[in-house]
Amino acid sequence: MAISLLNPKAEVARAAQALAVNITAAKGISDVMKSNLGPKGTMKMLVSGAGDIKITKDGNVLLHEMQIQHPTASLIARASTAQDDMTGDGTTSTVLVIGELLKQADIYIAEGLHPRILTEGFDKARVKALEVLEKIKIPVEINKEILTDVCKTSLRTKLHQNLADLLTDVCVDAVLAIRQPDKPVDLHMIELMEMQHKTETDTQLVKGLVLDHGSRHPDMPKSLKNCYILTCNVSMEYEKSEVNSGFFYKTAEEREKLVSAEREFIEQRVKKVVELKKSLCNGTDKTFVVINQKGIDPMSLDMLAKEGIIALRRAKRRNMERLALACGGIAMNSFDDLQESHLGRAGHVYEHVLGENKYTFVEDCKVPQSVTILMKGPNKHTLLQIKDAVRDGLRAINNTIEDKAVIPGGGAFEVTANKELLAYKDEIKGKARLGVAAYAEALLVIPKTLAVNSGFDAQDTIVKLQEEARLNPEPIGLDLTSGEPINPKDSGIYDNYVVKKQIMNSCSIIASNLLLVDEIMRAGMSSLKG
Amino acid sequence: MSTKEILTLQFGHYSNFVGTHWWNLQDLSFQYNSSIPSEINHDVLYREGRTNKGEVTFTPRLLLVDLKGSLGSLSEECDLYEPKIDPSKAQINWHNNQVQVQQVGPSHSKNQFQQDLNDPNKCVLEQSYDFEKTTKVWSDFLYSRFHPRTIETIKEYQYCNENTPFDAFPLGSALWKTSQFIDDFSDKIRSYIEECDHFQGFHFLTDCTNAFSGLSSSCLEFIRDEYDRKSVLVLPVIPSYFSDNLISNDNEKSQSLINDSVRVINLALGFNQFNTNSSLFVPLSVGCKGWRQPGPKRVFKNLEYDNKMAYHSSAILAAALDTFTLKHRLKSSAFTLSDLGADLTRSGRKAVAASINMPFPMKENSDLLECLDNYQEPLYHSITPNCDIGSRRLMQHITIRGIKEGQLKKPLDKAQKQRELPAYRANSIQEMMALYLAYTTDATANNVTVVQEALNVKSPFPQIFAKNIGKNGFISDHNRLSETRIDSIPLLAGLHSGSEIGEMLESLHTEARKIKINRFHQFAGGDIDRDDYEECLDNIFTLRENYEDSYLI
Repeated sequence: MAISLLNPKAEVARAAQALAVNITAAKGISDVMKSNLGPKGTMKMLVSGAGDIKITKDGNVLLHEMQIQHPTASLIARASTAQDDMTGDGTTSTVLVIGELLKQADIYIAEGLHPRILTEGFDKARVKALEVLEKIKIPVEINKEILTDVCKTSLRTKLHQNLADLLTDVCVDAVLAIRQPDKPVDLHMIELMEMQHKTETDTQLVKGLVLDHGSRHPDMPKSLKNCYILTCNVSMEYEKSEVNSGFFYKTAEEREKLVSAEREFIEQRVKKVVELKKSLCNGTDKTFVVINQKGIDPMSLDMLAKEGIIALRRAKRRNMERLALACGGIAMNSFDDLQESHLGRAGHVYEHVLGENKYTFVEDCKVPQSVTILMKGPNKHTLLQIKDAVRDGLRAINNTIEDKAVIPGGGAFEVTANKELLAYKDEIKGKARLGVAAYAEALLVIPKTLAVNSGFDAQDTIVKLQEEARLNPEPIGLDLTSGEPINPKDSGIYDNYVVKKQIMNSCSIIASNLLLVDEIMRAGMSSLKG
Repeated sequence: MSTKEILTLQFGHYSNFVGTHWWNLQDLSFQYNSSIPSEINHDVLYREGRTNKGEVTFTPRLLLVDLKGSLGSLSEECDLYEPKIDPSKAQINWHNNQVQVQQVGPSHSKNQFQQDLNDPNKCVLEQSYDFEKTTKVWSDFLYSRFHPRTIETIKEYQYCNENTPFDAFPLGSALWKTSQFIDDFSDKIRSYIEECDHFQGFHFLTDCTNAFSGLSSSCLEFIRDEYDRKSVLVLPVIPSYFSDNLISNDNEKSQSLINDSVRVINLALGFNQFNTNSSLFVPLSVGCKGWRQPGPKRVFKNLEYDNKMAYHSSAILAAALDTFTLKHRLKSSAFTLSDLGADLTRSGRKAVAASINMPFPMKENSDLLECLDNYQEPLYHSITPNCDIGSRRLMQHITIRGIKEGQLKKPLDKAQKQRELPAYRANSIQEMMALYLAYTTDATANNVTVVQEALNVKSPFPQIFAKNIGKNGFISDHNRLSETRIDSIPLLAGLHSGSEIGEMLESLHTEARKIKINRFHQFAGGDIDRDDYEECLDNIFTLRENYEDSYLI
C-alpha cells in the first residue's frame, strides 16, 4: 500500500476489519441514543466532570454534549446534527436508521455479498421510499389545528406532556402572530427570552417585546402607558474623537480643554429628542420611550429622565428590527429631521427587576409582527431544556407551513415503506434486491424502538402492525399507550414531511459511504514533508 | 472621577492561565476594612452585582473562552450565584422518572486548595499548596470567583483530544460564525457594556499559536464593527513550552516540525488581524524566540522558574500585565486606553513590546537612590519574544510599584555622599525615575507612573523567587528560611515602542515566509489560500517598515 511505503508508522485497518470498525461504531452510537426515541423514551441527565448537569432527551443536544472519541461515531454524529441544523428534528432517528442499515448490511456481507451491490440496492430503495413518502404525505391547509398537532407531536418527544402541550400553544400562537400571508416566516422575529424564576409552566407568549435590560437612571419612570417608541442607532455618549499623545501635553487639564467642546455636540442630539417629546406628549396623556442600540451616558440619561422619558441603551441589534415590526416606526440612524411618523407605539412599557437583571416589557402593541416567548424556570438546566424544545417546536411549525403537508406519525411511514419496499424488491433483478430487503428491514427500527421504549414487545408489535397494514390501505402507526395499531390521523400524530425526507436521504448516503470504506488509516501529517 | 470601565476577554487555555493569575493578584490586593483606600480603581475591571438572594457580589468584568473539558473541577456556571445542584436530587419532570444518568468525561474532584477556599475556617493565603504538582488546568489555582455568564466553552472541540485539534486559524474564524458566538457570546459582550456608564474599551488576552488566534481575530473584527470608537488592547500570549517539542523519535520530530509551522502561520495571520483592528497589541512570552519554538527561557536575575510549567510562566506575564495596565486603572488619573494608544502607536506602530523587572532589585533597608546609583544592568527585561528593548529612540511607559516615598533617599543627616549626587534633589520617586531614565536613555520619551501598592504574591502565586529575596520582596543579605512565604514584591514593568519591534516583526516575517501554506490542508481548506497568506505577510512587512526611520522626536 502506498501509504505504508510513505509512512510506515501509519495505522491501517483494511477491508473486513475496516468495515467491522465502522459497523461497531454505528451500532454503538445508536445503542446510546436508542432509549431516547419517542414520547416514552428515557430522559438523560448528563453530568459533566465538574458536576454541571444538563437534562435532555433531544438527540441533537445529546450528540453535542457527549464527548465522542471514535472517528466513525463522530462522523455519524456530525451528519446527524447537520440534519438538525437543516430541519430542526430527526437526529435520533437518523442515528438509529444508520446503525440499523449497517447492522442489516453486516448480515449480507458476512455471507459474501459485496458492499457495492448492497449500496446499489440501498440507493434504489431510497428512491422508492421517497416515492412512498410522497404518496402518503397529507396536503394541509395551514390552520391552528394542524400546526398544533405537528408541534405537539414533536414537543411531546422532548418534554413532559403537560409542559409540551403548554409550549405547543405558545409556539403556535407565536408563529401565527408573526406570519404574514404569502411570505416566508422569519423565526428570528420571535424573540426567546429567559427569566430564571417561578416554574416552567409560567412560560408565556408576550405579544410585544421583552428586552433584557432596563433604564440606567434612578429617576426614570418604571412604567409608562400610551407610549411613543423611538428606536434608534445614534450614540448619545460623549467620547473624545481625537486623542493626542500625552507626551506633548503638560497637564491633563490642558488636554481636556481641547475636547470639551465635543460634549456640546452630544447634548444637541439629546435636545432634539427632548424637543420632539415635548411637542408630541406635553399636554396629552402620551409618553415617550427611547430604545437605542448605541450607548447613552449618565449626563444624557439625566436630561431624558428630567423629561420623564424611559431610555434604554445598548439594545440588541436584532431588536431594532423586531421593535419596528412590533410597534411600527423606523429605526433611526440620525436625529436630523425626526418626525412623529418615525416613531412606533406601544400601550404599555414597564420594567421588571429580578436580582441584578432588569427586563423591559414593551406590550399592548396594535398589530405586533414580532413577539416574544418568555421562558421561565427555576434553574438553568430547566430553562435550557425549554429553550431547546421551543426552538424545535418553532421549526416544526415552520416546516409544516413551508411543506404545506404533513406525514402521519407513530412509525406509520416506516411501516408503509417497509411494506412497499418488500413488494418492490421482487421487481428488481439480481443481488441488488438484497440491498432493498435490508433497507426495508432497517426502517422498522423506528417502530420497534418506539414499541420497546413504551414497554411492548418489539416482534409482537411489528407483526401486528404489518398485518394491519396489509389489510388497511391507510398508513398504520403505533399507539404508544395501548401498543395497538392505529391510524395516526385519528389521534393527530403528525410528523414533518421535510424531516423524514432528510432522514431518508442522509441515512442512505452515510450508510453507503461507511460500507464502501475498505481502508481506515490514522496517519500523521508526515506525508506533507514529501 | 467617573470610572471608565474595561471589559476583559480571554481566548484560549494559556491566556486563561495568565488571566487566572491576573485576577488572583487583583483579588488578593483588595483591601477590606482598610483605613487607607486603595490607589487602584477596581471598578475599571470589576463589576458589582447582586444575586437573586440579594447578596452583593464583586466579580471580574470578564468573558473567557476555552475548550470543552478544560475546566477541570470548575463549574461552567461558577456556583457563586446558585449553589450547584446535586445530580441525585435534581427534579426532573418526566414519566415515571425514567432518567438515565450519564457521566460525560472524567469526573474531576476539587484539589486541596479549592476545597480550602470553600472552607470559611481556613485561610489559604498563608498556606503552601503544591501547585507545581497539582495544577493541570488553570481552574486548579483559581482564587477569584466569577459571574455565571463569564465562561464560554467550545463544544465542538475538546481539550487535549487528538481527533479534534483546535489548531488552525480558520477553525477559529469558522467557529465565530456559529450561533454560539455570533449570537450568544456577542450578546454577553453587549450585556456587560450595557451596564457601563463610561465604557472605554477592551483588554483582549488571546492565545495566538492555535485556532484561538482566528476566533479572537473574528471577535475583534466584530467589536470594531459594533463598538467602533472603543479602544482595544490586544495581548497575544505565547506559551513558553509546547509538549510536542520534546521529541524521542523521528516520527515525533516531523510531527513537531509541522506543529511549529502551523503555529507560525497562526501567529502571522493573528498579528495581521490585530494590527488592523486593535488599538495596540503587545505580544507576551517568557520564551526568547517565540516563533516556531519558544526557545530558551528569559532569565531574570532573582527569579527561579520552570518555563515548562504554564503555572510559572503565566504568573510572570500576569505580574507584568497587572503592573503595566495600572496607569489606566488608577483612581488619581484620567488616563485611558485611548491615551495609551495615542502615546505608543504613532505613525502606525501598533505593535508594542513589554518588559518587566521582577522583583525590582532593591535591597532591604536601602533606598531607591542607592539602588539606582549602583545599578549596572538594564532597568527592564523584555517579555516580548524576539525583541530586546534597547535604550535609544523609544516611546515608553514605565510603571514602578511597591516602593514607598519614604524609601526614596537617605534623610539629609545620614545622606553623606548621596548628597553630592544630582539625583538627590529629586523629591519623589516619579521625579527620580524620570531623572534616571533621562540619563540612561537617548532620544526617548519616558513616562513614569508610580504606585505605592506592592504586588501581592501570596498563595496561589508561585514561589519562584530567588532565595535571597525577603518576605517583603526586597533583597536581603541572608537567604530566607525555607518555610517563609513572600507576601509582596516591588515591581517595575513597561511598555515600549521602538525600532527593536521592527526587528521582531521582521523575524516573524522571515519565519512565516519560509512556509508554503498550500502544504497545510487545515488552512487551504479553511479559505486561506496563498494569496491571502501573501497579503498577510506583506501587511506584516509594511507594519515593520513603520518602525524603520529614526526621526522620532
